[in-house]
Amino acid sequence: MANSNLPRRIIKETQRLLSEPAPGISASPSEDNMRYFNVMILGPTQSPYEGGVFKLELFLPEEYPMAAPKVRFLTKIYHPNIDKLGRICLDILKDKWSPALQIRTVLLSIQALLSAPNPDDPLSENIAKHWKTNEAEAVETAKEWTRLYASGA
Amino acid sequence: MVSEDEFDMQDAAAESAEDDFYSGGEEDGFDSDDADVADYEFIDNDSDDSDDLISHRYQQNYTILSEGDIRQRQDDDIMRIATVLSISKVAASILLRYYNWSVSKVHDEWFADEEKVRRAVGLLEEPVVPFPDGRDMTCGICFETYPSDRLRAAVCGHPFCNSCWAGYISTAINDGPGCLVLRCPDPSCNAAVGQDMINVLTSNEDSDRYSRYFIRSYIEDNRKTKWCPAPGCDYAVDFIVGSGSYDVICRCAYSFCWNCTEEAHRPVDCATVAKWILKNSAESENMNWAWDVGLDSYHISEEYGHNCTYFTQFFLQLLQELALVIGSCRQKVFMSPVNGFRSRILANSKPCPKCKRPIEKNQGCMHITCTPPCKFEFCWLCLGAWSDHGERTGGFYACNRYETAKQEGVYDEAEKRREMAKNSLERYTHYYERWATNQTSRQKALADLQQMQNVHLEKLSDIQCQPESQLKFIIEAWLQIVECRRVLKWTYAYGYYLPEHEHAKRLFFEYLQGEAESGLERLHQCAEKELQIYLNAEGPSKDFNEFRTKLAGLTSVTRNYFENLVRALENGLSDVDSHGACSRMASSKSLGGGSSRARAGRGKGSTSRSSGPSRNIDEPGHWSCEYCTFANIKPATICAMCQHRR
Repeated sequence: MANSNLPRRIIKETQRLLSEPAPGISASPSEDNMRYFNVMILGPTQSPYEGGVFKLELFLPEEYPMAAPKVRFLTKIYHPNIDKLGRICLDILKDKWSPALQIRTVLLSIQALLSAPNPDDPLSENIAKHWKTNEAEAVETAKEWTRLYASGA
Repeated sequence: MVSEDEFDMQDAAAESAEDDFYSGGEEDGFDSDDADVADYEFIDNDSDDSDDLISHRYQQNYTILSEGDIRQRQDDDIMRIATVLSISKVAASILLRYYNWSVSKVHDEWFADEEKVRRAVGLLEEPVVPFPDGRDMTCGICFETYPSDRLRAAVCGHPFCNSCWAGYISTAINDGPGCLVLRCPDPSCNAAVGQDMINVLTSNEDSDRYSRYFIRSYIEDNRKTKWCPAPGCDYAVDFIVGSGSYDVICRCAYSFCWNCTEEAHRPVDCATVAKWILKNSAESENMNWAWDVGLDSYHISEEYGHNCTYFTQFFLQLLQELALVIGSCRQKVFMSPVNGFRSRILANSKPCPKCKRPIEKNQGCMHITCTPPCKFEFCWLCLGAWSDHGERTGGFYACNRYETAKQEGVYDEAEKRREMAKNSLERYTHYYERWATNQTSRQKALADLQQMQNVHLEKLSDIQCQPESQLKFIIEAWLQIVECRRVLKWTYAYGYYLPEHEHAKRLFFEYLQGEAESGLERLHQCAEKELQIYLNAEGPSKDFNEFRTKLAGLTSVTRNYFENLVRALENGLSDVDSHGACSRMASSKSLGGGSSRARAGRGKGSTSRSSGPSRNIDEPGHWSCEYCTFANIKPATICAMCQHRR
């Protein structure tokens, strides 16, 4: 297999992700590239994303764990910290990354971000503005998008 | 050891005690204290100060620091904190860095609330988790299990293996100066990782880089110090803010403004310099141009027709490359052809009436055919379809439609805008060219000065049988030239931003500038050309002493002119308000120095000149040389200073 020189850490993390998955999160490596993961996160309860199934991709760069994994939403989502390309504004994916963090902790953080959008540190200017001026309406839109794009079809 | 707090207690009343303190111990070891007692340093009437060196330093409001000086100061500061706070040197350096190397700030904060400071900075007193010796443990990064001697932890006790530590530290060092505030890799822990661990755990190369960041931080994070901005210069400057001029001359001979770190620009203020440099920056001009015109480089691709050029993609690329070149050597050269491109396009191009792409016409007839796919044929003058033109509209080189419409005022607004862009471009070019010429001239003069010092002076001393000490006047002349070129250069930036409607000020400014400039030209000419005669002479020249008198005289006359100019610009030409336009304008016009001639061509001077009260400089019994303004006695017909005939 081409992944024979995969660091032990990645193998261990993968095994643990598969054997004891975090609630509401599934992550499995791609067959041809052990550094590429297909991820699914369930919309947290009592959030506008409840009931949605969100697909993400996660890639471990060569420097991992010294460098952060690269994560992106594949499912369209209405969220002030996620842009239309699915890029995520999350500190631990950028300057707050630490090699003591793991795939699991990253995905849990993303799940938490769905529960607690942060319009003060936006990636998507328009959505953040919407969120701040009329939160109820923005939440409605997020629910609508969840129904339209993340209903697990 | 006297701490800062005690310094602060001493008030201005205790000045003399301070002086004693300093004259007793002006060793380098106390240098680091200087900055902290900055407030006292510009009391320059300390008459009891006998030491020349010290009093010189009191005048100069900055100190140049070599790398050795910087390390010395940094070590001294760290040592002081370590001693006073009874902590390790590593901990002291972490603290100092956190508080931007301010010894007094560290003292204040630490003694106000040590616990709080320790938490903020990450200096834990005891481990968060026990680091059990003699047991196998798992590294928190690679998940491998190691015997405890192959693992290491910061004070917090979170264990990581040596190779993960090395990777962690090395990544941080590669990421830049952020490595100076490195914390434990555990995301929930903020224990600081100090230089001791870094030196043990990383390669020499990495720890060298770390220590470079460390020393840089001492200069860059400290409000009172900056690096000399000259390329390749490693000196730093410790400046006492609030004590007069911002001009700093580094030991590398580069002079710069402390405030904005551009090259020294006295008498022009930092804001004007910033505007001017921004204006000169081709990069920003080109950006605006490309944005504003909305050039679509796919469309602008080929030349078409026989008399108009199109801004082709190639040209755009060329511009971008130029901008890169210029961007990378900012401070050094500004390329004038690229500057003001936007105005040039506005002035010389028109949008195609059909597809709106800009077209520049550089020659030929008025029949324009736009590039495919547009291919619209139109008249350059009236922008109407060419099918409406021909013999009946006045032939191919004229357009009656245009003439008629122009008379009716149809084109006025667009025409006016183009005219204005053209004028403003010309105006900018006028100032820019003179700014740039003086810059070049200064560089040349600097090179000549070096050549003079290193080669010619000795030769001249041999030929003219004069000791080198007697030839100092030549060096002084060259130093004056270099300085004057710098001042003169910046006066062109000043002139560009001097409002057009302030006629009196403009006149006064242009008068002073013209005087200074023609004085400088004479001095430069004399030092450059006339000196050659004596350099090439076979033996001692009889008239060498006259040359000495002349050059020294010109140096001092020019210095006066420039002092006047600098003073006038620094007080915002406020003399104009009391005196009105100076009547000496009249005489200066006839001098025809390079710049005043060029400016007279713009025909602004003649209208408002006569307003001010007349002031006659000719005193009875004297006549003023119209060349150098030296006041000669009446009987003489040749100026004693410059030999100019009356």
